[in-house]
Amino acid sequence: MPIACALIPRFSLLTVLGERRELMGKALALAPEPGGPQVIGQTSGAAEAFGVRAGMALGEALSRCPQLTLAEPDPEQAEETWETTLGRLEGIGAGIESHCAGEAFFAAGGLRRLWGGSVEGVLVRAGGVIGGPVRLGAGPSRLGAYAAALAMPPRRVRRRRGPGPEAVVRSGFVLVPDGAAQAFLAPLSVRLLSERLASNWERATIPGLLERLGIRTLGELAALPDDAVADRFGEAGLVALAMARGIEAPLCPREPREDIAERLELHEAASGLELERVAELLVDRLLANPARRGRSIRRLRLAAQLVSGGGWRVDVTLRLASADRERLRLALTPKLTELPSPAAGLTLRALELGEAEGAQATLHDDSNERRRERLGEAVRQVRAAGGREAVLRVLELDPASRVPERRATLTPFPEGEGIA
Amino acid sequence: MNPDGIYWPLPVAVRAGQSGVPVTVAGIGVEAVREEWLVEDRWWTPAPLSRRYFEVVLADGRNLVVFREPAADGQWFEQRA
Repeated sequence: MPIACALIPRFSLLTVLGERRELMGKALALAPEPGGPQVIGQTSGAAEAFGVRAGMALGEALSRCPQLTLAEPDPEQAEETWETTLGRLEGIGAGIESHCAGEAFFAAGGLRRLWGGSVEGVLVRAGGVIGGPVRLGAGPSRLGAYAAALAMPPRRVRRRRGPGPEAVVRSGFVLVPDGAAQAFLAPLSVRLLSERLASNWERATIPGLLERLGIRTLGELAALPDDAVADRFGEAGLVALAMARGIEAPLCPREPREDIAERLELHEAASGLELERVAELLVDRLLANPARRGRSIRRLRLAAQLVSGGGWRVDVTLRLASADRERLRLALTPKLTELPSPAAGLTLRALELGEAEGAQATLHDDSNERRRERLGEAVRQVRAAGGREAVLRVLELDPASRVPERRATLTPFPEGEGIA
Repeated sequence: MNPDGIYWPLPVAVRAGQSGVPVTVAGIGVEAVREEWLVEDRWWTPAPLSRRYFEVVLADGRNLVVFREPAADGQWFEQRA
């Protein structure tokens, strides 16, 4: 099943620049997010020519390129713009997996009959709905599709080098056939992993370390023995190794998202008590939003457009999913003190919804039942904050086994039934 | 392979002496070997399991269980046991 990749390189940086795209010709990078680690975000090509890369410490980036210009980041705006694009892609029937703005993967096989009978037909359609300088490619794995998308040059640039004999070019798209992912990836630099590994730390560390050890291409990495890679890089190294061999977990498309958000533009820069009143107003509006359909709110995102430029945001997970105005206000208000500068606008978005408000009370007091409900609620809260794998249950298989790994395994923790 | 297992062994760099007893684990010196045992299992299958376990106390105070797996080219592993 071919995986398609839609890629807009430096999407967050382009979103921040808006109409001022001529600045991309200068050494430019996104400044560190307020309150976050002091590392720079996406960089322009001119900055990369100085050896400045996303994820690099700010001090090191400025040492390498003293004339580096920093643009205020606005992740909320980038995500919002990207969300619109994803909605358009879902409109053509694609089940989207997207972990960061500017990058989306979807299974193209099932869409062929809808859009021209071929993968390139699907890509043409996807390019049409996304618009702009999008790069598209397809391959049997995410990394293969990503590399194929990168190998598709913008239309105005003449192709200097082909994508290699393992891939085919149809209608201007690079397509990697099934079974050819490892061969296609083999001559490519291990730097390609820096865009695909899970955490910032892995992205910043593993490709550089591989290069220092003399492993420069994905083919050289794929040829290494598993235990040697595990010994040096641990679990993340094994993931990188599997990627280089064209082996990845199946796509995990997101559930279609309901966007329940309220926004208020402020005519003057606001902070302190004034901003608290605005947040209260947004809570009221969010609770009155008909799209909520009576459901409680489990996770919220408070975002601000700063007067100084750029944006700020914070996620708030409630201990108990609630639709109580006072409870939401108490959870949000302390976060406003973290704002790095006065705000020109505030947005409140419900990221995750709970059950319908007004839970039915029981006639008699059953402490076991109450405990079960509270435990289930705690599990849902931890999952809302840390993902589905954040809470697991130890399942004993053979507790007396002399071989420890046979004694127990981890299984998903039930939220409702089965909690003793 | 079950990477979800909480007891799943993780590769670790161990330097062993001539007798096969660990001297350093992940570059940290071994202060004492508290216990040592053998596990022989699945000897009736084509993939028998033969492990020599050591419970060691490291110079930084940690108490670890490591073993050597001859079937995995003599690779050392750390395991909760």
